[in-house]
Amino acid sequence: MSVLDLPRLWRPETHQALFRRILDVAARPGQIADLSDLLDGRPAALAALATFCDNTQTLADVSGALSATDRAFLDAATVAPERAGFILAAGAEAPQFTPRLGALDAPEGGAVIVVTVESLTEGAALALSGPGVRDTATLRVAGLAADWLAARARWCADFPMGADLVLADPARLAVLPRTTHIKGA
Amino acid sequence: MAYVAIRGGADAIKGSARLMDALRAMGASAPLELDQIERQMPLLHSRVLSEGGLYHPRLASLALKQSLGDSLEAAFFLRAYRSTKPRLGETAPHDTRAMRIIRRVSAAFKDIPGGQMLGATPDYLHRLFRFELMDEGAERFADIARDWFGDRPGAQTPTTFPKVLDTLRAEGLLPPLADDETPPFDITREPLIFPVPRSAQLSTMARGETGGLLALAYSNMRGYGDVHPTVGELRVGYLPVMVPHPVTGKPMEAGEVLVTECEIVAMFEKADSGAPVFTLGYGACFGHNEVKAIAMAVLDRAISVAREKGRIANPSEDPEFVLLHVDGIESMGFCTHYKMPHYVTFQADMDRLRAARAKTGEAADAPR
Amino acid sequence: MHPVDAMGQDRDGAAYGFAFLDEDAKRELRRAIFKAVCIPGHQVPYASREMPIARGFGTGGMQLTLALLGPSDCVKVIDQGADDSVNAANIRAFFALTCPGVTGALRTEAASVIQTRHRIPEQPLRADQILVLQVPYPDPLVVVEPNAARRRRMHGRADYARLWVKLYEDMVAFDEITISHRYPTRINGHYIIDPSPIPRWDVPKLHRAECLYLFGAGREKRIYAVPPHTDAIPITFNDVAFAVESFRDRTTGKRHVCRRCGADDSFLDEFPDEDGVRVFQCSDAAWCAMRLDRMEAAE
Repeated sequence: MSVLDLPRLWRPETHQALFRRILDVAARPGQIADLSDLLDGRPAALAALATFCDNTQTLADVSGALSATDRAFLDAATVAPERAGFILAAGAEAPQFTPRLGALDAPEGGAVIVVTVESLTEGAALALSGPGVRDTATLRVAGLAADWLAARARWCADFPMGADLVLADPARLAVLPRTTHIKGA
Repeated sequence: MAYVAIRGGADAIKGSARLMDALRAMGASAPLELDQIERQMPLLHSRVLSEGGLYHPRLASLALKQSLGDSLEAAFFLRAYRSTKPRLGETAPHDTRAMRIIRRVSAAFKDIPGGQMLGATPDYLHRLFRFELMDEGAERFADIARDWFGDRPGAQTPTTFPKVLDTLRAEGLLPPLADDETPPFDITREPLIFPVPRSAQLSTMARGETGGLLALAYSNMRGYGDVHPTVGELRVGYLPVMVPHPVTGKPMEAGEVLVTECEIVAMFEKADSGAPVFTLGYGACFGHNEVKAIAMAVLDRAISVAREKGRIANPSEDPEFVLLHVDGIESMGFCTHYKMPHYVTFQADMDRLRAARAKTGEAADAPR
Repeated sequence: MHPVDAMGQDRDGAAYGFAFLDEDAKRELRRAIFKAVCIPGHQVPYASREMPIARGFGTGGMQLTLALLGPSDCVKVIDQGADDSVNAANIRAFFALTCPGVTGALRTEAASVIQTRHRIPEQPLRADQILVLQVPYPDPLVVVEPNAARRRRMHGRADYARLWVKLYEDMVAFDEITISHRYPTRINGHYIIDPSPIPRWDVPKLHRAECLYLFGAGREKRIYAVPPHTDAIPITFNDVAFAVESFRDRTTGKRHVCRRCGADDSFLDEFPDEDGVRVFQCSDAAWCAMRLDRMEAAE
């Protein structure tokens, strides 16, 4: 299979385009990235992992959502969620793990958790503030169990340690960096 | 690319490139052939191979040619080229006992198993000019070849030799080799964040700049340090590179690389067994570069001894001081960058100086 | 044959991909950039590939730009505020060679990615623009603590007491904070960054901006970020206000203006002209050109 035959999701030019949109919304929590023109029907969550994962990374697929082919393309080593640099989890299920939170002198070791949700355009309204947000922003999320926000608050209580969340509905992404404050959560 | 009209800076750069070429082409000499560089300046060529960190003899010659003989620049060319080559795989550790030796000496013993093999070295030659070399013709090379190969009998000496230090290990004067399966630290994929393992220490120095390593090692030899080395073995030769077969996984010889290796024996200390033993410093690099291998071995021991004692008494013992300052590409780049425009920061400095002078002036003028 | 295809062809036939770096290198950079944005002001370590341009000449900035660029981007490169400064011209030529499709801009407002050394453009940047700064020294604590491990812990705890002492010593010696460029700036109330050798004039532009700022140190192998709408406060004492360069003439008290466009609100380059007379000119070439265009259009 040459580079030309690769499915769209696994092509270098797609990763560049995905990365720019992910970066934009990571820098501006509350904003949503619409990836539908890049996905060819694949899930946005997978696209987020495809942008960052390779054989130097570790991945935990908590609810077994990845196919064998996708796992092969991601090429990351499978480990338990407590040790993974990247975690794929379902927003409907409360997290049963504590992810890597990094260290005081190396906070970048905290995990990136890609959480699949039903929708990022409707559902409960989260009031966000913090870096990247002018005053406040509202993010609507459907399909995120309440335990997730409580868990995130615990994980991110000790800045700079923490984990960074990427929320993914089938075609869109939003990012909740550890610095984002969610009112009431 | 839809860039607008070329202005001053870009013009100057184009002119500079053309001038470099013009300098090369001036005079009556013929263009350098890559073979001439590799064959007739093999030691300079070796420096570039080892400092570039890429074993590509033809490109090392091209790098020297293109950089007008600047070894720092030439190493930079190779390193930049190497930087984006895809990683095909990793070999298992190689045992240098398999080296096809061309030179092998030991200062520790009068004689060693296999013999002291001087090989090609200027060490004991007089540094007197041979003025007849000024007018060498091609026929002189033919004479030299005839003279060397003419009546020579077939090879009688073995090509591989045992390690001198194995005799010290057998007697228990050196600790046994540790069996360490930890994968080596990859300095091309991870930045050095101290403390770093010994594999990071050795690989950083393996592609370190010869003069930088020499200066730091010399400081230790002269007294800013405690290593007091004896060269247990210095060997130069061709090491077969064993690569796992893509299908069977069996190690296959893919070629050979010229390598210099130096093991020094240093001051003795208490071992885990309780009885004191000698300590070891190790240096190895691509190409034929003995000064570098010895310097590297001295610095390896210096850093290790400081780590063992938990005390850094001299710069050559400080891993940060050594490892962060011996890379020729990084040091040369930063040194060179000072020639770039810095007038905005200078403007900012002038503002501060004027403000501070004004305050001094006010203080001086103020009534007492 | 496109220059990029010709560039990479050696006798073994291997070619360079888009934006020179291989995908492993780009992914590592992108992971580091993402983390840097999630932890504003924290210096994220990365491997930092060697580039065909020397260390010290902007390899950190270049790696960031190369990880960002796609064929629809428009890139501007400036050094000391000028597009045609030798370093900027060299880097721009490299992007032209390695990124087919990417266009170049001199006008600040036309660029989607701007790579800069030692200046932030006078024109406020938009949300759809990214500024990439070239950094020689990423760590502001290096002046008070030579040991890297100790510095990392100090940053983690936001323990900057030794930095304050250094500023205090300045005040005692000179009655002024003498830091002219690389002014230590606190991001989001925690990490203090070295904002790169931009003058004090440019530091306020980091505070609650519309655009994303990315900082790349190639030789030192660190990436950090200031996201938009984020506090970026230059550190000082309660009774010593942070001040930018005044460009005020000591004798006349008047603020110098640009000899080309007359601007009295931009950072000025000061230099002797052909006759040895001291003259002043906008450091930001695009800003000056825009002002001249406007003046011309108004006539």
